[in-house]
Amino acid sequence: MHERPPKVIVTKIGLDGHDRGSRVVAATLRDAGMEVIYTPPWQAVASVVKLAMEEDADVIGISSLATDHLIVPDLMAALREAGLADVRVIVGGIVPAADEAALLAAGVARVFHPGADFDDIVDTVRRLARERAHGATA
Amino acid sequence: MDSAADTLATILAGDRRRIARAITALENGSAQAPALRAALAAHTGRAHVVGVTGPPGGGKSTLVSALIKSLRAQGRTVAVVAVDPSSPYTGGAVLGDRIRMGEHQGDPGVFIRSLASRGHLGGLSRAAADVIDVFDAAGYDTVITETVGAGQSEVEITQVADTRLVVCPPGLGDDVQAIKAGLLEIADAFVVSKADLSDAARTESDLHAMLALRRRQDPLPPVFRTQATTGEGVAALADWLCARSARGTRLGSAEGRRARAVVRRAIAADAYARHLGLTLVEAGRGHATVQMTVGPEHLNFNGGCHGGAIFSLADTALGMACNAEGEVAVLIDGHISITVAAAPGSVLVARAEPVTHTRRLGIYRVVISRADNGAHIASLNATVYRTGKPLQLLTV
Amino acid sequence: MNAPHEPAAVTADELAQRVARWRQAYDAAVPAAEPVRNRSGIELKPLYTALDWAGPSHPEDSGVPGEFPFTRGIYPSMYRGRSWSQRQLVGLGVPEDYNERARELLALGASALSFLPCNSVFRGYDADEVPAALLGTCGTVVNHARDMERAMAGVPIGDISTALNDPAPFTLLAFQLAVARRRGVPWSQIAGTSNQSDCLSHFVANHMFFRIALPGARRIVVDQIAFANEHLPRWNPLSIVGQHMQQAGATPAQAMAFTLASGIQYAEDCLARGMDPDRFLPRFTFFFDISISLFEEVAKFRAGRRIWARLCRERFGAKDPRSWRFKFHGQTSGVDLTRQQPLNNIARVTVQAMAGILGGLQSLHTDSYDEVFSTPTAEAARIAVATQNILREEAQLTEIIDPLGGSWYVESLTDAMERQILEHIDRIDAAGGMGAAAQQGLVQRWIGDSALAFQKRVDSGQQTIVGVNAYRVDEDPASYPSLAYPDATRMQAYLADLAAYKAQRSAAAVAQALDGLAAAAQSTDRNIFAAVVSAAEAGATHGEICATLRRELGFGQPLTVV
Repeated sequence: MHERPPKVIVTKIGLDGHDRGSRVVAATLRDAGMEVIYTPPWQAVASVVKLAMEEDADVIGISSLATDHLIVPDLMAALREAGLADVRVIVGGIVPAADEAALLAAGVARVFHPGADFDDIVDTVRRLARERAHGATA
Repeated sequence: MDSAADTLATILAGDRRRIARAITALENGSAQAPALRAALAAHTGRAHVVGVTGPPGGGKSTLVSALIKSLRAQGRTVAVVAVDPSSPYTGGAVLGDRIRMGEHQGDPGVFIRSLASRGHLGGLSRAAADVIDVFDAAGYDTVITETVGAGQSEVEITQVADTRLVVCPPGLGDDVQAIKAGLLEIADAFVVSKADLSDAARTESDLHAMLALRRRQDPLPPVFRTQATTGEGVAALADWLCARSARGTRLGSAEGRRARAVVRRAIAADAYARHLGLTLVEAGRGHATVQMTVGPEHLNFNGGCHGGAIFSLADTALGMACNAEGEVAVLIDGHISITVAAAPGSVLVARAEPVTHTRRLGIYRVVISRADNGAHIASLNATVYRTGKPLQLLTV
Repeated sequence: MNAPHEPAAVTADELAQRVARWRQAYDAAVPAAEPVRNRSGIELKPLYTALDWAGPSHPEDSGVPGEFPFTRGIYPSMYRGRSWSQRQLVGLGVPEDYNERARELLALGASALSFLPCNSVFRGYDADEVPAALLGTCGTVVNHARDMERAMAGVPIGDISTALNDPAPFTLLAFQLAVARRRGVPWSQIAGTSNQSDCLSHFVANHMFFRIALPGARRIVVDQIAFANEHLPRWNPLSIVGQHMQQAGATPAQAMAFTLASGIQYAEDCLARGMDPDRFLPRFTFFFDISISLFEEVAKFRAGRRIWARLCRERFGAKDPRSWRFKFHGQTSGVDLTRQQPLNNIARVTVQAMAGILGGLQSLHTDSYDEVFSTPTAEAARIAVATQNILREEAQLTEIIDPLGGSWYVESLTDAMERQILEHIDRIDAAGGMGAAAQQGLVQRWIGDSALAFQKRVDSGQQTIVGVNAYRVDEDPASYPSLAYPDATRMQAYLADLAAYKAQRSAAAVAQALDGLAAAAQSTDRNIFAAVVSAAEAGATHGEICATLRRELGFGQPLTVV
């Protein structure tokens, strides 16, 4: 069997529009051999869910620089409701320490902060995608 | 893991999550894939498959997005297979086509799936054929494939479509020649996008002139002009597409379309046909037309087209025609008669038609002519033996 | 009595010999290595002498400030005559919260204000159109003229210059003008800048601010300039922004080049409208990011001044020397700040601020050290202001005009930056100008490539970032205080107030004004910004005005290029 490369969505929800970080992450993941769907900012939660469903995405990477991480729990709930609880979600950007715990409790797999090592990001995404592929049911 | 039958049931029921997972299973060539393909085969042939290609920067995604809007307004469900190139070095890809279709991100009647161009077992055309079949079986009325007509593999995908659109941005001018060799000949219609730009009218007339020169056909394929952001010209294009899909003749009956679906998978899986650069023009029950551009690799020591290439072209058309029913048929006796030397660079079309058949034998005739002036090049009279065995490509 | 020592004139040959001797000694001490480059890719030698720069290369360059081409400064007196303005960004919560912070800053000696609206405002929505959890966390929520009145309570808007960080269609300016009219302050006294008016830079590099499709946005920008020309003599309607592009990853030379190219585009748009360059150019201002690459930034600004002066005189045909002046606001770059050991950011901001001051800016915002965590705490904001005061009062940075002028290094670097900037501008001209280049995605691609290259240098350790890829310590990020989110009850109160406001105003007047706005947008010759002002005065909200214009002119979808 030929395993396809990790399929990753890199997106921004909420109101913030700064996307240098997410663009650099998307390019890095592509250069690491992954298939990346990169969206413009201001995606509605429902759109991200539809996107993840249609593309059978392994990992969703949310870039959050302002306070948009506050609505990530809404995304987690929407994913569960759509039967996509196995899709892994990571968040990168400016997240106060107190909020990080809340995100992890809501089901986010990992939170990356500014200055994060890019090799770490790539390895994490690869690992999460593999976990999903092996744990996933049809 | 679910059985192929269970997966099929969820696809037929339109379960979007399961559709997406089935597509992944086929992409991966999972253990379930062959059985799933076989199961899908009986349920394909209903969708109208529209292939959209053209040079980069031509505004294809924007046009497709506008087309989707028109089709949805007419109550049709639409699926899109958006093909993006993978890096030949890293194998990674940014799948960026679908974000240009963002206006449909909330519409449950639209399903968009991105496909990276590399690393597919059996080639990109085969992967695309798989995805199309899933959408077809799931009941989507129109399946649009969108590719960049830059590499040969992207051009190959268009042969998998029932209707092929080539989208040209204005300013192509003499670069109408730049439209990939062979693409000009198999296109069913041309679209000059960004109609608001000043050279749109000139590009349109250049296309008309080029078509008159290079294709012998009555009528010639139409040239549409669109401005996708305002919607100008898109409704006319959508109407034309819907008329084509409704019409019985070219695409045939339901069985004919199923045959068509089989053939598109067959040509995609034929390594030798790919090697020679042969592309499917059209096919239906018992008939098929295949095209070849005579290139340097087809020439013999005399600088003329190798007879073996002519024979291969005829034989491929024959193979498509007689295997379209889904059962294996093999050539057992064939006589080729080459009357005119095919000029290097010319585009040849081979049309295979049935003459008669018994339960086990089929008699076919294949005529090869030049696409531009209809000049007769060769003909093949062939007898095929129908084995009654199912096509392997449907089960592997 | 000893005669005063006069240095003997050194011939070029003698100097060359000295330098060769030095080079030998240097090479013996330092092993050969890869060339060192600055962020713009220009090689940095260990030593510069008169051999590298022997005087201005341009025959017209007199070498004094206040004269064409203004390399050394746009005014003859620079900071001795008038200090740069301290213009700190403030934005938080509800209008009353802004008012409190603004009055504090004015009391501390700030001479200008900068108003930062909430992200919901940036996106063109009213507070009741977005998830409540996202309101007021990064900026102040202002949705109508009465909100603006509360934000500016007790602030003398006729005397203080206000920068309104508000992109097209400039509703905040409209609200400010409504407040002025209500207070009896003549519009001719309203001073400030529409410092996010550069829709091209938003399209290319800061999608946050991109609300309306580009052709419509460009038209509104020119309409606003025309309106200001007629009614707002103290208002700078256009601030051409290099900050977004540099923050998005453009090198300093690229950022200056792309900004100047945008300036060219806007000047051409105004000329196409039939405006007199000597009328609109004096009110074009610029806004730049200041990175920590000290000398490179100084050279960038000096080169920018020179190039712009030449463009104004020769390309746009302006005759008044006031039209040739390159006025700019600088903001220290948040991209250089780190989350690790955040107090180090105070040192970083100091160096960045110095670069801007030595580069001759007209107004300055210094970041707070805790920008990387959240909206700044009050204490961090005070340190940022103190940094400016220390540089001015204690380090005497304002006493000498263009102190780095004449430095062989800085002058040759200025020339090198100028060359690179001009090359980039040529490339954009070849693509049909900034508007065309942006719509083709060219500029975005160049910026993206620079951003990726920089990240690779950081990842490989080639570029050290203290605390991040070197000099690391174990620390607990939770130990740094961060600003609490705005009180949810205050936001709820605001939303209730907004609902009450919408209920009590004249629905007919608002509807009529919005119809007039739509009609202006559909026309080809009516001033859209004037219609925005009328709508604001009739009581329309920010969200209503933006929605109307988006319907007519299109939603601003940036071109996404990875």
